[in-house]
Parts: sequence; structure tokens; C-alpha cells
Amino acid sequence: MTFYFTGIRSFPKLWKSNPYLGLGPGHSSLSLFLKDCYGIRNQEKWFSLKTVSPQNTKAMNLLISKARYVRKKDEGSNKQVSADSPHMFAAGAAKKRSQMNPPSKEHVLPPVKNIFQLPTKPLNSEEWDKLKEDFKEKANFENWIISQMVKCHSSVDVAKSVLAWVAAKNSGIVGYDLLVKYLYLCVFHKQTSEIIDVYEIMKARYKRLESGAYTLLIRGLIHTDRWREALLLLEDIKKVMIPSKKNYSDCIQGALFHQDVNVAWNLYQELLGHDIVPMLETLKAFFDFGKDMKDDQYSNKLQDILLYLRNNHLYPGESFAHSIKTWFESVPGEQWKGQFTTVQQSGQCLGCGKTVESIHLSSEEYEFLKEKIMRDVIDGGDQYKKTTPQELKRFQNFVKYHPPFDIVIDGLNVAKMFPKARESQVLLDVVSQLAKQNLQVLVLGRKHMLKQNSRWRKDDMEKVQKQASFFFADNISEDDPFLLYATLHSGNHCKFITKDLMRDHKACLPDAKTQRLFFKWQQGHQLAIVSRHPGSKITFQHILIYDTVVQTTGDSWHIPYDDDLVERYSYEVPTKWLCLYRKT
Amino acid sequence: MSVSITFLRPFARVLVPFTLHRKRRVLYSTTLQRYTSSKIPAVSYPNKESTSPPEELDLDRWKITMKSSVQEEDVSTVSSSKDEDPLAATRELIEMWRLLRREVPEHISEEELKTVMECVSKSSKRKYLKYLYVKEKMKKAKQIKKEIKIAAKEQVKKDQLPETTKEDKQQNFLFLRLWDRNMDIAMGWKGAQAMQFGQPLVFDMAYDDYMKPKELQNAVSQLLESEGWNRRNVDPFHIYFCSLKTGGAYYRELVKRYGEKWNKLLLTATEKSHVDLFPKDSIIYLTSDSPNIMTTFKHDKIYVVGSFVDKNMQPGTSLAKAKRLKLATECLPLDKYLQWDTGTKNLTLDQMIRILLCLKNTGSWEEALKFVPRRKHTGYLEISQHSQELFNRMKSKTFNSFPRGSVHRHRKGCLSGFPGGAVVARPPADAGEPGSRPGLGGSHMPRSGWARGPWPLGLRVRSLCSATGEATTEGGPHTTKNK
Repeated sequence: MTFYFTGIRSFPKLWKSNPYLGLGPGHSSLSLFLKDCYGIRNQEKWFSLKTVSPQNTKAMNLLISKARYVRKKDEGSNKQVSADSPHMFAAGAAKKRSQMNPPSKEHVLPPVKNIFQLPTKPLNSEEWDKLKEDFKEKANFENWIISQMVKCHSSVDVAKSVLAWVAAKNSGIVGYDLLVKYLYLCVFHKQTSEIIDVYEIMKARYKRLESGAYTLLIRGLIHTDRWREALLLLEDIKKVMIPSKKNYSDCIQGALFHQDVNVAWNLYQELLGHDIVPMLETLKAFFDFGKDMKDDQYSNKLQDILLYLRNNHLYPGESFAHSIKTWFESVPGEQWKGQFTTVQQSGQCLGCGKTVESIHLSSEEYEFLKEKIMRDVIDGGDQYKKTTPQELKRFQNFVKYHPPFDIVIDGLNVAKMFPKARESQVLLDVVSQLAKQNLQVLVLGRKHMLKQNSRWRKDDMEKVQKQASFFFADNISEDDPFLLYATLHSGNHCKFITKDLMRDHKACLPDAKTQRLFFKWQQGHQLAIVSRHPGSKITFQHILIYDTVVQTTGDSWHIPYDDDLVERYSYEVPTKWLCLYRKT
Repeated sequence: MSVSITFLRPFARVLVPFTLHRKRRVLYSTTLQRYTSSKIPAVSYPNKESTSPPEELDLDRWKITMKSSVQEEDVSTVSSSKDEDPLAATRELIEMWRLLRREVPEHISEEELKTVMECVSKSSKRKYLKYLYVKEKMKKAKQIKKEIKIAAKEQVKKDQLPETTKEDKQQNFLFLRLWDRNMDIAMGWKGAQAMQFGQPLVFDMAYDDYMKPKELQNAVSQLLESEGWNRRNVDPFHIYFCSLKTGGAYYRELVKRYGEKWNKLLLTATEKSHVDLFPKDSIIYLTSDSPNIMTTFKHDKIYVVGSFVDKNMQPGTSLAKAKRLKLATECLPLDKYLQWDTGTKNLTLDQMIRILLCLKNTGSWEEALKFVPRRKHTGYLEISQHSQELFNRMKSKTFNSFPRGSVHRHRKGCLSGFPGGAVVARPPADAGEPGSRPGLGGSHMPRSGWARGPWPLGLRVRSLCSATGEATTEGGPHTTKNK
């Protein structure tokens, strides 16, 4: 059962790495190992690259059919409501956009180098000597061969025969680098006795190790009876550097595996103290461990974890969401009920019918953000970088002496949204449609828009100017910061229209908290144009009115989570929710 | 029964490595046994002899020797101090990384070690160590090269000793010998001439606050190289280092690198800004952020290059400077002529000056843009595709009302009229001839005569020596030692 489960998790990655499959086993993601610190990345990834053996083909087929089903459903729903393309900030939207206009350049795969056939069974010294003679490249053969084995995850026995051969040549001594790579294979194949042997050897030979070997040893030892020694190794790492979140994750999972809850929580606190963002797997382990447990203190800590997710805008993955649901439902005495669902446009949860939190900012947050935008985005230390002081002054006066706007339009961005149409025409269409609804519209542009040419007709522009207020920035100034400021200045009801995701401006903000605040505001105020048919109406995308974040009301929890089949970019939010409420 | 269940769980994991050996699927059951036997330590040890492969390899003997031969050379180097001092711990970490063949230096000073310790993350530690490693390696390579050179020189001396008489005979030849000294004098003369009549080229040095010490060092290296290229050119610029604060970081670094030659350089270093020295309307600030694309090299303008190295990208800084002073800005027409591939479009100072020098002398963008590093682009655009597109667009606009066929014919005629579209691609003719520059820099001699053969140059140098007098320099450190 567990096996089947990991299979599901690995599937999207298989999907992604599909084009590589033809290259033969173990070619594409293999450089991973050499570059990195021998830490084992998630195994599913490697697993997915393998050709499939008879046992798991069945499972695979199942998965593929499942995926097909899912995709079909997707397509179907797309056809039904073609106008309802995913929301700008919905998970997977960027991916979809990029697929709509595929890159012209074909992605060229690097040519496959001659593949050395690795031995599949242990060889004796003579055979190794012979192989070494045949080896023509410059690199050190011993090193090279064991790196290749690591890449292909050869069996431990074969690697061991290399070590035996090297030791025989070298009066029984094996170098540290070979030993570490051998250890990697042992850990990968979970050969406990071998790990302990290597550990003993390393402990005896070297006073101190380096981070790569420590990581491997921790991972290897943590599931054995000598797991407490792994904690000592963690202490050793701390002497030279802050251990990685993987190290902590391994230790915490090991401690939970051996039922030592206090050690696990202490490690977790320590991890947070270092300002490291824990791996979601670590958090999941806590939830898995707490199943069927009646312990108020423990469940409080788990709720703290959920609040941590909320405060840092983290979203659990699918399996983690399942763990959370199982834990809630298993708490004895409290009748929690959970279901996977979505939230309607109105902000109403389809599961329990409650409304999730609104996306609107409080007035303090609003003022705070406005000031930050002014100081860090527009000014940014040197006003000349994005504008000039004179222009800034002109703009501030302009905003001050105009009534608050309802819509602010990034003129150039909107005009160029439909490359086939004339730019000034598009702008005129958008503005006149909005003006008909009695909205105060501000169009931001650059001065060159006023010059008559085939793309910018003067009569169009005159009509636009009649229906909307206009601010033209200098041709070498940036207009986006002005757009943000004008929108913020006009108040909470004001929206802005542009296709720009404003990521470069978000990056100008000084800290993660402000950036999250900005993103929240952006989600609630950015209007996107969905379609335009010449002569007819322009359709706008709805604006999100609820905040996608982990939230609770005491007797209910709403947790947005990442679907494993959807690749979510950092500037997108999940669309699926886990709804939990207490039955009364 | 219970045994079989415990077998099954690891079995699922064994599948993962096993899938690799597709060919051996037939042997599946036998290998499986072997795997499972080595899997569970408690069971495997007694069974080991019976299930291990028939050819019987002693795979575990090395472990015994490894454990017994403990405390050898490795440990002696590592465990010198037993105290728990973090410095020693870091040193040991680096030592272990070296055993892993990571890119870490062999020798590391106390100070560097402290810097390593202060690095916040593992990757920053590694990067710093790699930097030290590369530095160490370069130093070593230089040392070796030096030794080889010395040895080769000795060898040549030894070989030549018997042939000295022959040499003497050869030295007696018709033409004047062109010594290095003469070349330096000639260059000095040209430099002096440029300082009187040459076109100014300004390096704006007001960026020292924007750069880290490392970047500043790089910028100074580039400046040195630029000055070298300029000095050796047929028709050098008059280089100005503007806004160079005496005692500032830039000044100190320049003086440090040039040594005593600093005061003898044939260039103008001044604390004044370029706007104080030249009329504002004749200054053109060259910056890659500029929206205006340079079309021709103007011999009557003063070009300003910001001497600014921004390794971590500070776009807009130089444009902001130009905007503040309300100067005209221009950028090189890289996209117009080159099929850009990778890399940023800002160039180093020495590349910039070589492009400008070439442009000044030949007026040809194709020639000048040869100094853009080859790794950044995949070649020249075919006869300026850019202008062709522009051309076509303009035509389709103008002749929109014509019937389709006629437009087509018209276009055909047009293209044959301007073979290869060269008219659009080339700058106007006045930029081309170096001799016909308006106003500035009256040339005393025909430029074509310069640097042709050894003969005329030697003669000229002789006659000019007295004229330049003190201004001439004798090689010195600024003969591009930095290269």
C-alpha cells in the first residue's frame, strides 16, 4: 500500500521528465549527486526515472489511467466554460499561459556520451585491473567508476568489490572520498549493517567529518537502534555550521520513529530558532505521529504548526493535507469532519458553506503598504533611477488634485495586449467600456503615445482623453510604480488593470512580510482582461475576494493545499482546499 | 510465517535498484535471494557463505584493515589540537572537504579562516573556499610558468654563446632597428598629440560608492587595460578621468596599480565633473540602459563611459546619473548587428574603448563590434535584418492602398536598387574617413603612414624625439602588465 502511494506522488515528476526517458536509465537527473552534498533528495524523483520492472508496471498503468482521467476532466471543463480560464493567480495558470505560446527554439538535449557498461556483479581484482586498462579518459578511474555507480545506484556488493580492490592495491586503505560514495550507496539501499560498519570505520579513522558524510550518516543511522548517535553527529555539524533542514528533518523523523516526542519537539524549536523553514515532510511526520493520541498539549502544538503555515503563507502538499485530515478525524472525543473541496468565487466554502477570510487589507496595513511602495519601489534610494524628482512632484500633485479613481489602467500594457489590433483602438475600447459604467478612470502612459503614428492614432487618443484622466510619464521613466501608487492612493475600492505580475516591484520591498502583504493586496486589486472581440464587450476576470491562506474560526479549519498534479509557481496560490469542521 | 512478512517490506525497496539491470531479469529469483539475505543483518551473517556468489570474493577484508590501521597519516594531520575551538573545527572541515576532492585551498591563513567561519551559509562557505582555491591555483601556475621561462632563457643564452660572432654580423643591416624604446616614444608622442588635439573620451569615475572593493579592483584593472589599448592605437583618444576624488577609493587604487608612472601618464585626471569641463549639449553618455540607439560615431561629441563594474546588477544607475545631469544618452546598437545569445549587454571598459577606437578609425560597426565577446552572440545579423524589417514595415505602411501585386514588384525593385541593403546598415560617409574629421584634431601627417613598416616609423620617431621631450615614457608599468 505504501508503495502504491509513493508511486502516485512520483507521478507528476515522471510526467515532467518524460522526454528524458529514452536516454536509458540514470542519465538525466544524475548530475544531482555530484553537485550536491550526497544528501538524498526525495527518492521518488529517482524512482520515476527508472524503466519500470514487471512489478510496478501494473501500478504504473493504474496511475497513467488515473492521470488520463484527470486530464480528460480538465479538458472537458475547459471546453464547457472556455471563458473561464484559470484565474491569474491560480496554481498552474502561468504554466498554462506558457504553453499557449510555446517557445520557438527546440530544447536541445545534450548529446549522449558513450555509456560505460557498469558491471552488475562483484568483480575480483584482476577483472578490475583489466577494466582500468581499458579506461581511456583522463580522470582517476577508481573515483570515476564509483561516481558512475552512485549515479546508477549500482548494488552495494559491486561497489564493495571496488573498495576491496582498491584496498588490496593500497595496503588495505581506502580513501575518504571512495568511502563517502560507498556510504551513499549503502544509505540509498538502506543496508543497515553496512552503514554501521562504515560509521565505525569513519569514527575510528577520522576525528571529524564534513557535512556530506554527516548528512548521510544521520540519514543512515536514524532508523537503527543507534539513532541517538545520529543526534551526536548533528551536534558535530553545529560546531562548524548550521545544520540543514534536511538534517533536522531526518533527526526529527527518527526521533518520532523511536517514540521520543520531546527530542523531536526540541529539535523542531531549534530549527525554527535558526530561521530555517522546515520541510513539509517534517511537519507531516508530527501529524502522522499524533494520530489517535489524546494529548491536549500535543494537539496545541500541532495547531501551532498550522498557524506557522498561515503566517508564512506555506501550503501543504496533497499527502500532507491527507495527514492533517486523518489527524483531525482521529482526535478522540472531538468529532472533526474533513473533506477536500473548493471555494466559490463568492468566498463560500463548498464543504461547510461558511465564508472564508476576506482579502481586504485593514486600514493600517493599507497605509503601511502605501508608504512602503512610495519609499522602496518608487524612490528606492535614487529617484532618478525610475523617474525624476520633477516628474514625481508632478505626479503627486496630479493625484492629489484629482478625485479618487475607480480604475487605474497601465496604458501601454493594455494597448499591447492584443497584438493584432491597433494599440490606440484597444485602449479606447477598454476605456470607453469602463467610462460607460460611470467609473473614474486613470490611464497611465508614456509621452510617446501622443505622437501620431500608425499604431497610435491621434483621434483615438483624443477620445480616450475625453473619457479618462491621463498621466504621461517621461519616455525613459517606469510607469508601473506610478500605477501602484495611484491605485493605493485612491483607496480600497480602486482596481488596476495590467497583465504585468509586478514581480520586479515586489522584489524591491524590503522583507518577506511586506512582500506577502503586497501580494495579498495585488490579488485583491488586479483586474485582468480575459478576452476582447472587436466591436463587442471586453470581459474582465473576476477579482479574488477571499484570501488563500490557512485559517481557523476555532471550530473549523480551512487549509488550501497543493494538488500534486499541478505545478504551482511561487506567485500563484492553490485552488484546492481542505475543509475541517466540528460536528455539533 | 512471521519471517516471510518481514521479508516483504524491504523487498519493495529492493525493487528500486533492481530495475536497473534489465538484462538480468531472468536471474531474478536468485539475485533476489541474495539481496534479501544481505538485507537483514540478523539473518544474513550466518547465511552469507552459502548464498554469496560462487566465485567467492572476500569483500569485507578491507574493513578489518581499515579499522586496524587506524590513526595514521590522515589523523595526524587532522587531530593536532584536541580543544573544541571553532577555528580548528572549521579547519578540519576544510581538510575533510579536501579529502573529498572539493575545490578548497591547500593552505589557508588565519584571516581567511575567520572569513570562512563568518560566512552565513554552507554555500557561501563553499564559494569563498572555491575563490581561494582558484587563487591558489593561479598563483601556482604563475610560479611554474615563471620557472619555465627562466629555464628557457638560460637555455637560449647557453645556445647562443658560440654564435655571438654571427649575431654581430647580422646586426649590421640597412634599416634602422626598431627598438621597444622607440615604440614607446612613438606612442608617447601620439598620446601627447591626442592630449592637445585629440577627441576627448571621458571615464566617469563617480561610481566608487556603488561598488564593493572587489568590483572597484576589477574596474581599475579594466581602466588600465583600456588606457593600454588607447595608447597603442593609431589615433588615440584624449582620456579624461573625471570626478576622480583625490584620496578617494578610485584614486588610491589607481595610484597603487600604476605606481610612480601615475604622474607621467598622458591623460587628464581631474576632480571636476565632465559637465564642468565640456558644454552639456556636446556630451553623450554611453549606457546600456539608454533607450536611444547609437547610429553613427560623432567626431565632434564627447562620449562619456561610466567606469562602473556591477557584478550583482544595478541596472539604471548610470542612466539615473545622466538623467540627473540632463545629458543625452546612447547605447551601442548591439541588437541591430548581432544575433545576441547569452549574457548581459553591458560590456567591460576595455571592450568599450576598443569598440570606440575602431569605430572612430573605420566607421564600420561590423569591424567595431568584433570586440564584443564571442560567447555572447552567435554571429552578425544578416545585412541588418533589423533595418530590413523596419524598411518592409515602412513600405507596407506607405503603400497600403496599392494592389497586392504592385507592392510586390515594387519591393523587388527596391531591393535590387540597394544591393544587400548596405545603405541602411552603414553609417553616413562622413564617419568613415578618419582624415576628414570636421574641426577637431588637425593631423600633422598623413595617418596612413603610421605604423606601417619599421622603416618610416623609425625615421619619424627620431625626428620627433626632441619635440616631445619629457612627455615620452619608457615602457614602464603601464605597458599593459595587467593583461
